[in-house]
Parts: sequence; C-alpha cells; structure tokens
Amino acid sequence: MLVQVLNGLVYGGLLYIVSVGLVLIFGLRRIVNFAHGSLFMIGAYVGFSVAAMGGFWGAVLVAALVLALAGALLDVTVLRPLQREDPIVTVLVTFGLLLVLENFAQFVWGKDFLKMPVPAMLSGSVSIFGESFPAYRLLVIAVAAAVALGLSVWLRVSRIGLYVRASSADPLTTAMQGVNTDRVSVVVVALGAGLAGLSGTISAPLLALSPSMGSYILIESFIVVVVGGLGSFVGAFVAAMVIGQVHNFGLVYVPWAATMIPFLLMVAVLIWRPTGIAGSHV
Amino acid sequence: MSELLGFSNVVSGYGDARILHDVDLTIGEGERVAILGRNGAGKSTIVNTFLGVARRTAGEVRLLGRSHPALRYFTAARVGIAVVPQGRRIVPNLTVRENLVLGAAAGRDRPWTVERVFELFPILSERANSLGTALSGGQQQMLAIGRALMSNPVLLVLDEPSEGLAPVIVDELALVLRRLADTGTALLLIEQHFGLVHRVAERYYVLAKGTIVEDGQLAGISAESLKKHVAV
Repeated sequence: MLVQVLNGLVYGGLLYIVSVGLVLIFGLRRIVNFAHGSLFMIGAYVGFSVAAMGGFWGAVLVAALVLALAGALLDVTVLRPLQREDPIVTVLVTFGLLLVLENFAQFVWGKDFLKMPVPAMLSGSVSIFGESFPAYRLLVIAVAAAVALGLSVWLRVSRIGLYVRASSADPLTTAMQGVNTDRVSVVVVALGAGLAGLSGTISAPLLALSPSMGSYILIESFIVVVVGGLGSFVGAFVAAMVIGQVHNFGLVYVPWAATMIPFLLMVAVLIWRPTGIAGSHV
Repeated sequence: MSELLGFSNVVSGYGDARILHDVDLTIGEGERVAILGRNGAGKSTIVNTFLGVARRTAGEVRLLGRSHPALRYFTAARVGIAVVPQGRRIVPNLTVRENLVLGAAAGRDRPWTVERVFELFPILSERANSLGTALSGGQQQMLAIGRALMSNPVLLVLDEPSEGLAPVIVDELALVLRRLADTGTALLLIEQHFGLVHRVAERYYVLAKGTIVEDGQLAGISAESLKKHVAV
C-alpha cells in the first residue's frame, strides 16, 4: 500500500513538473502550448546523450539549461508573434512544432526505444516502514517537492514572481504599471521549458525513451491543467498529485480501466466544477 | 509650462474601426484638466491611445514632450503618466499590498511608498493583506489611485473615477484629488458626470463622436453644453 502511494507520488511529481510549465506559459501568453510534451521528450533525449558522456547530474543540469534556452527562443520567435492570432492558429502552430520535434528526435536518436540507466549511486533500495522502495524514485519525489516549494517561494516573494502572478491574471493592467510583460514572458517560458527538460531527464531512467513519449505526457498534463483549473499553480499541484495516485492505483487494481480513469476524472470535474479545482485564480 | 501629454491630429481606433478623429489636446505641468463626454464618445479610447492599446493611424502622441511613434503598454507609466483605469482593474489574485507594490513597477523613485499610500488611505492599511477585489467599490477606487501613485507620476489620469461610487465617497475623492493637485501632480479626469469634475478641474475638453467639440476654462462652461454632453 505504502509503495503504491509512493509510486503515485513519483508519477504525480513528474506530471506536476511538466504541467506547471504549461500553466506558467498559459498564464502569461494565454496560449495552450501543444509543443510542451515534445520539450519533455527532447529533455529526456538530451539527458540521455549527456549522461552517456558526463554522468547523470551533469545531464540533468544540461538538459534543463538547453531546454530553458530553447524555451526563450520559442517565446520570442513563436509565442510572441502568435499572441494576437486566433487561438486555433496557435494550436495549429504549436501542434506542428510537436510533430517537427518528434521527427527531429527520430532523426537524431532513431525510432528504437532507448533506456537510460539509473545512476549507480541511487540504484539501490531504501527500506521505508519495512517496505523496500527504489532510492531513485525517492529522488524523483524530492525533486518534485523541491520544484513545488521553490516555485511557490519564487512566486510569493520575488518581485518578478509578483509580476508573473499579476500578468497571469491581467496582463494589460500589469503592463500599464510599467512592467514589460514580454520580458517576463521570456523568463517564464524559459522556466517552463527548462522544467520540462528537467522532468524529461529525471523520468528517463523510469521510462522507455521514444519520440512519441512527449504526446503521452502532454495529454496527461492537459488533464492535470484542466482538473486543476487553467492558470492555477496550486490547482496543478493538487491535480497532479490526485492523478498520480489515481493512475497508479488504477494500474494495480483495475488495470483494464487504468488509462481511462484520468479522463473520467476530467469529465467529472468539468461537469461538477467547469473552472477546475482552483478556478482561474492562482 | 512644459507639456506632459499631447495629442495632435490623432486618429485611432480598434481593428478597422476608427473611434477618434483628429483629436488635439494638451495637458501641462500641474494642470487639472477634464475630458467630458457622453457614453460612447470615445473618452476611454484617448487613454487607450496613449497606452498603445488602441491603434493610432495618424497624428502624433507626445508624452512629456517627446513624440512616441510606437507606444508600448508600459511606456506611459515609465515616463510618469499613471492611469487609474475605468472599472479600477484591481488585479484579482493579489492582495491590497501586492497591488500597491505592483504599482511601483515603473521604477520611478520617490516620494510615494506603500506606507505613504496607507497614510493617505488608512482603510487600505487595515485591509493590506486582503485580496484587492474583496474591497468595496470606493475602497477599490482608493487602491487603484494608490497603485497609480506608487509609480510617482507627474500626471495622474483617471478614467471615470466616480463611476459607481456613492455621493459621499465622491466628495472624499474630490478632497483627495485636490490634495494631490496641491502637491504639484497634474490631473486628467475623464468623466461623463459633472459632480467630481467641477470640484477638481480648472480646464475642460468636450469629446463627442470621437472629436473634440469644445474646450475652455471650466468656470465658463455653458449650461447648454453641460446639458448636451454631460450625464446627469
């Protein structure tokens, strides 16, 4: 039982790190970034390649930085010009980007599944209340907790965090106070993409790497964002944790329905509370 | 007297719709000016034009004497022109204090601080940690003014500040605005009601169908134009 809960936290934690990036980008740009899943996937592959040369920790750092840089570029060259366009245009463009990135990964790393080894230092198990649990999975939970804590402190305490919260609620009023919201947006999209890269790399030892892995996590992240409430950081955290547990218990107890449960949860939330758990507020 | 905000032959609007036609206006240092006009006359488009929200297709907009061909939303605040927008636009997920701190984003120093705004509006200090939108209409208006003051403006532009406020609150607002004017802050009041305007402004423009149709000293405004261009 405890192991199941912990496994749920691992999956929920990974989902949270990916989804919070989506939430950040949606808040600032009002764009649903379909390419976000491929940022996760590219992060995993970059991590895979760097880990082969420079070890796991270097891979985590490099993947996060490379993806953050890609995010900044994405904001300036794609998301900013798309802001004044019809939402359907942004969906088409970011979805197109997803396909391009999948093909890019296929070209560079091939179609075959790749497996990244768990770092030697964390390959063992730890005993928790008499039950054995892989140390690496504990690290994933710790990283997710650190990201959640770090983000909420950053958003609450720093001046740019204030601007991020303000712009995600009312970008025009925020800009009218003298904030260059375009610049805030570059920081936020870079951060969101960097987190996708980070979660891609840390999930690489747990998943099989394939160019299509991004689409799967994207769908689950969308469910998290919708259940949590579009644009809500707290909502995304709660929803990711719930879906992590639901997903995991589903796999164990009702394997035939496991993939359906998160969708059912989303439908239920949409009926019961169409704005999501936390509404549209941060 | 140097100019703080100036429009010359400005044509602007949204998309293909033109709202303002050939608008000329000027507000100098320390002046108290009103723009009067009925609903739909294009008053808010004047604000939206110098903020860069409405698209200017002809003419010139000057902020502190400098012409700005491409206005960004944040330009006005950074040069010292703060706006108290119509409907207050209190950022809903921020507390009263955070809304005020946001107002300082333009990075213009002195003399306004959160503490000084609290002295001016003590009620805000009592509610400092409540969400801004939890305040009453009058208190939200004070918060919006306080937020604008946090950018230490040389010109404070208020778009329909008396809208939805009880008469006694409007009286209080008039006193506050007079006190601000005494410190040298120029004021531009955009109103369709005369109540606040006649207690604060000294000069006026009348806007009708997107054009300035009249201007002068407020003391000399005729009963006829009041009846025609101002809501009762």
